[in-house]
Amino acid sequence: MTTTPKIDNGIENFRNDLGKPWRYEEDGYTVTRACAWSAPGCHPVGCGVKLYVNKDGILEKVEGDENQPITQGRLCMRCLTLTDFTYHPDRVIYPMKRAKEDRGKDKWERITWDEAYDIIEENIQGLKEKYGPESIVVFGGTGREGGPMCGPYGAAMIGTPNACYTQSGYACYIPRVAAGTYVAGVTYPEMDYAGGLPGRYDDPMYKIPEVLVTWGKEPLPSNGDGFFGHAVIDVMKRGSKLISIDPRSNWLSTRAVYHLQLRPGTDTALGMAMLNIIISEDLYDHDFVERYCYGFEQLAERVKEMTPEKAAEICDLDVDDIYGATRMYACADNAAILWGLATDQKANGTQSGHTIVALEAITGNLDIPGGQLLGDVSDSLGDLGFGWKELGPELQNKIIGLYEYPAYVGLVLNSHADLTLEAMETGEPYEIHGGFIASTNLLAGTCAAQPKRWHDAMVKLDFVFAADCWITPTIQCCADVILPLATYAERQSMVGTHYGASPNMLGAVVDAVKVGETKGDLEIQYELGCRLNPGTYARFKDFEDFRSEFRLGNLGMTYEELREKVVVQRNVSYKKYETGKLRPDGKPGFNTPTGRVELYSTMYQQFGEDPLPYYEEPQRSPISTPELMEEYPFVLTTGARTYAYFHSEGKQIPLLREVNPDPLLEINPKDAEKLDIIDGEWVKVANEFGECQLKAKVTPIVKEGVVHAQHGFWFPEEDGEEPHLFGVWRCNINELIPHKFVGKLGFGAPFKCVICKVEKLNK
Amino acid sequence: MATYGLLIDYEYCTNCGSCQVSCKEEHGYPVGKTGIAVHADGPWYIDDDNINFNYFPLPTDLCDLCKDRTERGREPICVHHCLANILYYGTVEELSKKLEEKPKQMLIVPQYMPRVAKGEFVHQENATDLHKAAAMDVKGTGASTFGAHRADAKVGEYEEDAV
Repeated sequence: MTTTPKIDNGIENFRNDLGKPWRYEEDGYTVTRACAWSAPGCHPVGCGVKLYVNKDGILEKVEGDENQPITQGRLCMRCLTLTDFTYHPDRVIYPMKRAKEDRGKDKWERITWDEAYDIIEENIQGLKEKYGPESIVVFGGTGREGGPMCGPYGAAMIGTPNACYTQSGYACYIPRVAAGTYVAGVTYPEMDYAGGLPGRYDDPMYKIPEVLVTWGKEPLPSNGDGFFGHAVIDVMKRGSKLISIDPRSNWLSTRAVYHLQLRPGTDTALGMAMLNIIISEDLYDHDFVERYCYGFEQLAERVKEMTPEKAAEICDLDVDDIYGATRMYACADNAAILWGLATDQKANGTQSGHTIVALEAITGNLDIPGGQLLGDVSDSLGDLGFGWKELGPELQNKIIGLYEYPAYVGLVLNSHADLTLEAMETGEPYEIHGGFIASTNLLAGTCAAQPKRWHDAMVKLDFVFAADCWITPTIQCCADVILPLATYAERQSMVGTHYGASPNMLGAVVDAVKVGETKGDLEIQYELGCRLNPGTYARFKDFEDFRSEFRLGNLGMTYEELREKVVVQRNVSYKKYETGKLRPDGKPGFNTPTGRVELYSTMYQQFGEDPLPYYEEPQRSPISTPELMEEYPFVLTTGARTYAYFHSEGKQIPLLREVNPDPLLEINPKDAEKLDIIDGEWVKVANEFGECQLKAKVTPIVKEGVVHAQHGFWFPEEDGEEPHLFGVWRCNINELIPHKFVGKLGFGAPFKCVICKVEKLNK
Repeated sequence: MATYGLLIDYEYCTNCGSCQVSCKEEHGYPVGKTGIAVHADGPWYIDDDNINFNYFPLPTDLCDLCKDRTERGREPICVHHCLANILYYGTVEELSKKLEEKPKQMLIVPQYMPRVAKGEFVHQENATDLHKAAAMDVKGTGASTFGAHRADAKVGEYEEDAV
């Protein structure tokens, strides 16, 4: 658990802050070393920061902390602008209330925390008594501490089973987690980038991946799920070769040996063809397959039907590239796949995930150095299940979607997104009356399909409260009380890679400044929980006691001890399937019913899903709906990340907005020419489900017939009141994403594979 | 006296923009002004399979090579935060050697406010605050192999041990 970061910057003579304590004085500043995690939102990478606070208690600047073994002083623009975020005049720093009849209007009034808690307690307890606790829904988002805390906010704090990540089909992360869990009994096989090893890339235990596959992922700007994206650059410099599987050319794909520029949504066909090649050409790891895989013969039989030639036709690829890339991946000594959000964003996504886990398994890349690192059985999503037991069976069984989609609802203890919207709209299976918006701006083209439907359902609720740093369009339209949320510079917590589910690092989130009366998610959960659902919190002596159990359960150290160290790397070991560390019973093998990687999944079978991967066309595509293609000739993919924003967040930060001022639609030059669209022109994008306006970016990075739209735009500088709501509807690409086009298990939705037309705005 | 510059290994510039944003934060440059900016060439197709797509972080005429930091022995802020670790600061002499190690690099010696530094168009009332010469070298700090260097830094103000 020692850290010996190495600054690989060529010239060695700079002064640096290596070895400095967690807090020290320098040039009139009190400098606090800490790890960054939310707010501003991001996945839990825990980048090292040094927070410089002046004598007046103002956070004056932020610098990357070179002591952090993974980020080593590097920092992206979203944290570099933390001071602008922290002291922005629009930021909410006091609790506020608004009369219910003034919803949608800018009529907020500052109140005390006590008054805010009183109002929430009175209303929530009233709704619980009148309609039952299940009539209240927690709306959760991603990237903030309040994201994974969505479940505990519901079950523990309020006492409702209905915590809901609102994105149709939970089309973010969880379908991959489902594939990992149900096929291999592990949460998330991640590329091993030596994050937990003291010597990092030079550690004797580590080996640089010979081949790296980025599959539907832009790791550099996204840092998806806590993976430090630029680790890819670090290993490229040390010799890793790339394969890119992506409908768009991006910077990494132009450096790849193979770029398989497939048609959006066809990943499963490609995955099956790759398995086919590896099995038929005998490129798999016989020893691993024999000892640790279940159902290999059935898988081999199934993927026979997906010949590379057939996949090439489906995916619009050159068949030689499929052969070449597959052989390159399978023949490498060690190789890692970085599987991205695109896996989740189609109804066929569970099967995509299945093929990817199968590829990693049969090539022997699971849990080897520079392959796919697995979390051991003691690593877990700390938030998952907190307060669930105390709900009792009657309430547990009321969680929306339990009977329709048990594989979804049971895995994450979240109510099913699409069915939750339907319950709000129809009152079936019961009426929804209250809501808590926990760090999500779901209306702003982020984690909701058909956001206008969500809007219309949310404004009808009897009582809504929210916790956030900003008055977002989502809050403006329906909230009655706002609780001001702290940034990571204002609160005490901790951050672990992959929410703790990957053995890389744990870091301390440290309060360096006080801004207004903000509080963190942990405090809000505890304080409000003690009022709304005291039974669940009765066992805790005080807040510190609660925080210890909730955040530091597995760590064996106090918050103060962690803060002193700032970062601890976690003990990494490989091939844990040999040592019993993957199973609660300590036996070798994987944590599945058969103890093996289930290439033939008994869990899927149990849930009524095909136990083997199969390919299904997106519900709208040139193949499945040829009759619609005349009107909607483009395949639409959405939501590629940029450095400037975390989804809808950051639009009011000038130095970020400067980088990406308008929402873009990427369109091929030949298509643009046909439509007489010039670069920089505003265009209308529409399909049968909705429409929006975007700014055309004419670029060859998308193929002819494919367009890509940016997501998450709203305009804090515009009128915030209803019906304009900061212009949230004008550029809202999620209006074009249909409701409940999900897979059989309830997972996946076509955020990255629908069809659309593009028109000049001013003909 | 050495001349200082930036070596840019643009083979790995990913356009993360940390150089630009950290520079603006460090110097208080508002929207529309910066000491370093990332420029793009491409993406355009060389042939059916290959795309030309390069990013180049280039210092502007507002780049002072972070003299307030380098005089304290710190590297420039862009060098510190670059996510791909592709920016190097040092003397032209030592950076030139690195330049020979691999292709797709460039070595740049910026000059802060060059017209002012050259003595042209300087308002008389402000002239006393400025150095007219374009000197890039001032005394080193003694704490490291590089030193402060900027045209309008006040030569001789920094002690050898003032770190």
